[in-house]
Amino acid sequence: MKVMGAVDLRRDKDSSVVLVSPDSFPEAIKATIPSYPHLITITAVHIDGGIELIYSFDNLRGEMRNIIVRLPEKEASIQSISSYLKGSYIYEMEVRDLFGVNFLGHPIPSARLLLPDSYPTNAPPPLLKTVSLEQLSRILDEAQRQEPPTMLTPVTGSSRYSVESLVILPFGPYHPALKEPEHFAIALEGERIVEAMPRIGYVHRGIEKLAENRTYLQVLFLVERVCGICSFHHSWTYTMAVEKLLGITPSKRAEYLRTLVAELERIHSHTLWIGLLGYWSGFDTMFMWLWSARERIMKLLEMIAGNRVNKSFITIGGVRRDVSDEKLKIILREIAEFEREFRKITDEVMSYDPLIERVRGIGSYNAETAILSGAVGPVLRAAGIPYDIRKIEPYGAYPEISFNVITGSRGDVLSIADVRVRETFESIEIIRQVIEKIPSGNPVPPTFFTGGGRDGEAIARTEPPRGELYYYIRGRTGMKTPYRVKIRTPTLPNLVLASEALKGYTLSDIPLILTMIDPCFSCEDRAIVYVGRRDPFIVKLHRTPPREISGGCTL
Amino acid sequence: MARDNLRMIRKSPWVFHFNSGGCNGCDIEVVAAFTPKYDVERLGMTLTSSPKHADILVVTGPVTRQVAGSLKMIYDQMPEPKIVIAIGTCACSGGIFRGGYNVIGGVDKIIKNVICVPGCPPNPRAIYSVIKKLYDNKIGGDEGNGSSRS
Ligand code: SF4
Repeated sequence: MKVMGAVDLRRDKDSSVVLVSPDSFPEAIKATIPSYPHLITITAVHIDGGIELIYSFDNLRGEMRNIIVRLPEKEASIQSISSYLKGSYIYEMEVRDLFGVNFLGHPIPSARLLLPDSYPTNAPPPLLKTVSLEQLSRILDEAQRQEPPTMLTPVTGSSRYSVESLVILPFGPYHPALKEPEHFAIALEGERIVEAMPRIGYVHRGIEKLAENRTYLQVLFLVERVCGICSFHHSWTYTMAVEKLLGITPSKRAEYLRTLVAELERIHSHTLWIGLLGYWSGFDTMFMWLWSARERIMKLLEMIAGNRVNKSFITIGGVRRDVSDEKLKIILREIAEFEREFRKITDEVMSYDPLIERVRGIGSYNAETAILSGAVGPVLRAAGIPYDIRKIEPYGAYPEISFNVITGSRGDVLSIADVRVRETFESIEIIRQVIEKIPSGNPVPPTFFTGGGRDGEAIARTEPPRGELYYYIRGRTGMKTPYRVKIRTPTLPNLVLASEALKGYTLSDIPLILTMIDPCFSCEDRAIVYVGRRDPFIVKLHRTPPREISGGCTL
Repeated sequence: MARDNLRMIRKSPWVFHFNSGGCNGCDIEVVAAFTPKYDVERLGMTLTSSPKHADILVVTGPVTRQVAGSLKMIYDQMPEPKIVIAIGTCACSGGIFRGGYNVIGGVDKIIKNVICVPGCPPNPRAIYSVIKKLYDNKIGGDEGNGSSRS
């Protein structure tokens, strides 16, 4: 069987890896996009005195193509590809922030994506190998001493906006209609949204740098805490990448148990989201119903792993503890109970006209916009694209489980809700099959892996509740710590889509449309779209002529 | 004010929830504490969206550099008397993210007098019991004296 997703990037003989020079780079990209329209992410690695950029594409059917280009360390620059693929702009900003690479022709030049405002402009980019964690902390502490933290006042650029009738409304970072810190500059014409520009990064913790300073086993606990909702998927994807790098094969039973916990996580996450949908559309009872049903799943997770949220269930080479047959029986029983409850509640709410009327046709988008933005998960599937990593690149126990990929026919809040409800039922079926087919054996490795890495790189992808999650790990022989860990979470591309989908709707729809993608800013916060106060810049509108917004607009 | 914190709050205590850069684990458990199974609302508490209406500030996360100013400002906007609860190991000390270049590491670096509830994340039952103790007026921050543990 072809080991999916694990590419020995340099030694691969098939066409999935293309090494190009900066000069022939634009041609290579142009030739790739028609058949590989989904840009997964851009991974940068500072290695051997240069910066390597890996553009990972997928053809939406599970075949990847990696285009690798090497840039010099000093004054690295390369052509931006955002004119071909809109969604790439956010990845380019990430690389610019963390590695100092300049992207020529970028729609938002010289803006920051991830770093705090207090990050000195003359400080080295944080992910360069030439700067240590201690040096960085010292530089930033010093900067903070000179300028103690103050509340950021986002300055609106309304008076400078080239169209006089537009008002720019700063929205967030702490706002009653937002559950997580983020900021949007919303350009309004009357009540209608013309443009929405996100500025995130309030939750940026610098996890990728921390990971380079901890051992392989310690990083497992760190990445679990990238996100407290999909915590298990983060640790699983990381573990998969490490196992591929080191050639470790976990036992079959371990793979089944991992699948079991992953699907329980999907159920609790989807239930949580459907509850929040009720909350944001003024249907509090629905929120309470669903969250109390969800507790049944949380109890199961606690029973399996000993903790509800950050479960620390998985380990490199297996899982940390077995689940006994009695417990599996309890899971079967409870899951049946949950299904009954969940069906009753969703039948009730999804046929409640005021709710349907509130969410139908809100935040609509089509498949083309979704692909161009790079959207993943239920957001992409609701527009009719069956992109599900569990199916196109099966991992864990999924190759032996039969299940359907749920798709919708149009993208809007209602159809995404519908997709999530149906996916929950599908997950329940998967859990039944897992428990029925689970092989016996010992899933716990005799000792925990505490070793180091070896030369090489590995890619792993999974399908958490919010969509494709991507990990890239580079190891070095003799190093106890990973040389580079790159994480691409699903909310980042989905946010590009949400900003698109906001256009044309009114202020009161913002919470619903933002909730639509089930944003998780803790996951995503490696991203900020920020423009310096005095920097004139151009925001390129999708399919409309560029409009100039200059001066004090904090995006 | 120390021990009489809640006695001085004559109304039902309202809570403002501030995510200072956590992983979302603590945030979800805080919200879960408000839902039917744990239901701190039965103590008259509710989540409010304005710090100016709040009596209790619940902070989660290790405090990133970007939000430190907002945290201070939101705390300042709350009327006296006010109680600050740091939920989760991150908010207590920086937790697993301690040492990261963008985290300040703990709410007590910004605000003095914080009640710490460690755990990653603390179970909603733990959150409930802390709030219940507060409600019963058994614990309170030691004023101006750094953090006290529950
Ligand atoms: S204490 Fe743990 S669960 Fe809470 S925000 Fe920090 S990492 Fe997440």
